[in-house]
Amino acid sequence: MAVVSAFLVPGSPLPYVKRDNPPWGKIATGLERAGAALVQSKPDVILLYSTQWIAVLDQLWQTRPRVSGLHVDENWHEYGELPYKLKIDTRLARACVAATGTIGVKSKAVNYDGFPIDTGTIVAANFLNPGGKIPLVLASNNLYHDFALTEKLGRLAARLAGKQKKRAAVVGVGNFSGAFFRHEIDIAKDKIVAPKYDRWNKKILALLQAGDGKGLSAALPEFAAKGQADMGFKHGAWVLGALGRKFTGAQVHAYGPLYGSGGAVVEFILK
Amino acid sequence: MPRTQKKGAIVAGFLAPHPPHLVYGENPPQNEPKSQCGWEQLRWAYERARKSLDALKPDVLLVHSPHWITQQGHHFLGVPKLSGKSVDPIFPNIFRYTFELNVDVALAEACCAEGARQGLYTKMMRNPNFRVDYGTITALHMIRPQWDIPVVGLSANNSPYYLSTEEGLEEMDRLGRATRTAIEKLGRRAVLLASNTLCHWHFHEEPALPEDMSQEHPQSLSGYQWDMRMIDLLRQGHTKEVFRLLPQFIDEAFAEVKSGAFTWMFAAMGYPEIPAELHGYGTVIGTGNAVMEWNLERAGLSKPASKTRASRRAIRQAA
Repeated sequence: MAVVSAFLVPGSPLPYVKRDNPPWGKIATGLERAGAALVQSKPDVILLYSTQWIAVLDQLWQTRPRVSGLHVDENWHEYGELPYKLKIDTRLARACVAATGTIGVKSKAVNYDGFPIDTGTIVAANFLNPGGKIPLVLASNNLYHDFALTEKLGRLAARLAGKQKKRAAVVGVGNFSGAFFRHEIDIAKDKIVAPKYDRWNKKILALLQAGDGKGLSAALPEFAAKGQADMGFKHGAWVLGALGRKFTGAQVHAYGPLYGSGGAVVEFILK
Repeated sequence: MPRTQKKGAIVAGFLAPHPPHLVYGENPPQNEPKSQCGWEQLRWAYERARKSLDALKPDVLLVHSPHWITQQGHHFLGVPKLSGKSVDPIFPNIFRYTFELNVDVALAEACCAEGARQGLYTKMMRNPNFRVDYGTITALHMIRPQWDIPVVGLSANNSPYYLSTEEGLEEMDRLGRATRTAIEKLGRRAVLLASNTLCHWHFHEEPALPEDMSQEHPQSLSGYQWDMRMIDLLRQGHTKEVFRLLPQFIDEAFAEVKSGAFTWMFAAMGYPEIPAELHGYGTVIGTGNAVMEWNLERAGLSKPASKTRASRRAIRQAA
């Protein structure tokens, strides 16, 4: 199996740019733990899908060999910049572009100086892959793709990594519950915006921890609707697709609020 | 420093759609990719709008863009000079634009403060490394390629999507009224730009050559019919009817006016029942785009609201 580790992480910049706020600092610590686990799995490549890289026309894949810059989040600009320096596995990314036609998806390579890398990708890469040592395959979130199609994309990317004899870490970047506070709050007292979302997040986390694939499959559609899962939990679809839905449990490195939304750092147990 | 008058006023508002294809079709030196042609009807519509804007001689252009999306509050560009390279995340093949713009920070701050007074959560964007979104840049380039008029940039709070359309647009109405008050207080001669497409149903694949106009047409007949119905009402000055139909238009034509710029602009202008001037209409990857103008100065409606009310009071007292 090409996949040697798999993770779900939040894409909010808050744990990165404002970790001195206790609720967000806990998530940052969880992300660092996940980063250590990822490095320990010795991957050749990280297959990363961020709900915040939005596409509408085609499925986009980053194919610029080196991507670096300074990003300012559109919403949280007051907390400073997000520097990034990423190395792309262009051979595998191009293979993904070439192969998605087999699952009915038109793909496009993105190789442009100054292309805006989304906050989620940067935050995940900086925590899980500090220094940008491990090459990445970056996949966009096409708004017209559903959970099932995203799962196919994840499966395809993992299969192609295997074909190139690469050990792959798989990362899905996005929130659990996507509902958030709209107005100013006391950030030190941040909490999940409503108890029902907290309950939904914990239910999904418990299913993941128990390795209950069947229970998870049954619960996810309702979670997407009633739990207001971020982007229909398509980042989860990416990871589950890459894993072929085969995992025995999960370790939750952190769970908590990110301005009301549900942030969880989850490491899948594969053996 | 912007030229000021005793009391400020909004002299005009423009519906100023922002498909980056229009910049690509024009081939300005700021944009890296070069085209053979394309979207002439819309580009020539903007040429007419440019002449009109030139005659208005505004101090400032205010633009509300659906591609600067914020979840917490309505944000305002608040750095005197912003520059950089804006690459469209959706169409990086056609829009890689080097921009440099001057911000009317004082007016932005006043809008921000007035918005807060209206009960909105508002925020100033003070980070000098901020990358201005392509919606703001395209609308500004197309209406004033000289970039010689200071700007106030407003984000699109995602309230119409996160809440209901009606709740979200009610916020945009308040934002518009706050914008008007700020303009009046600071004595600016202002032009508003609502950076919105109309029907937003689009094709899901680009032609191999983006400017292949043989592939360009409305994506949907019903969307096109909706656009024509709304444009015709606006041309006749039936603003009330347009706003009565707006939620249905948004639902059925997937209209981008949902993001709020259109409501913000009309609220700021006081929902004038005056005929709009249609500079032109065209499709871009199937979406419907109209360049339209409401010239309040020409219609005698550009006096500040407070002054107008005071004048009415004086007339009543005299009677």
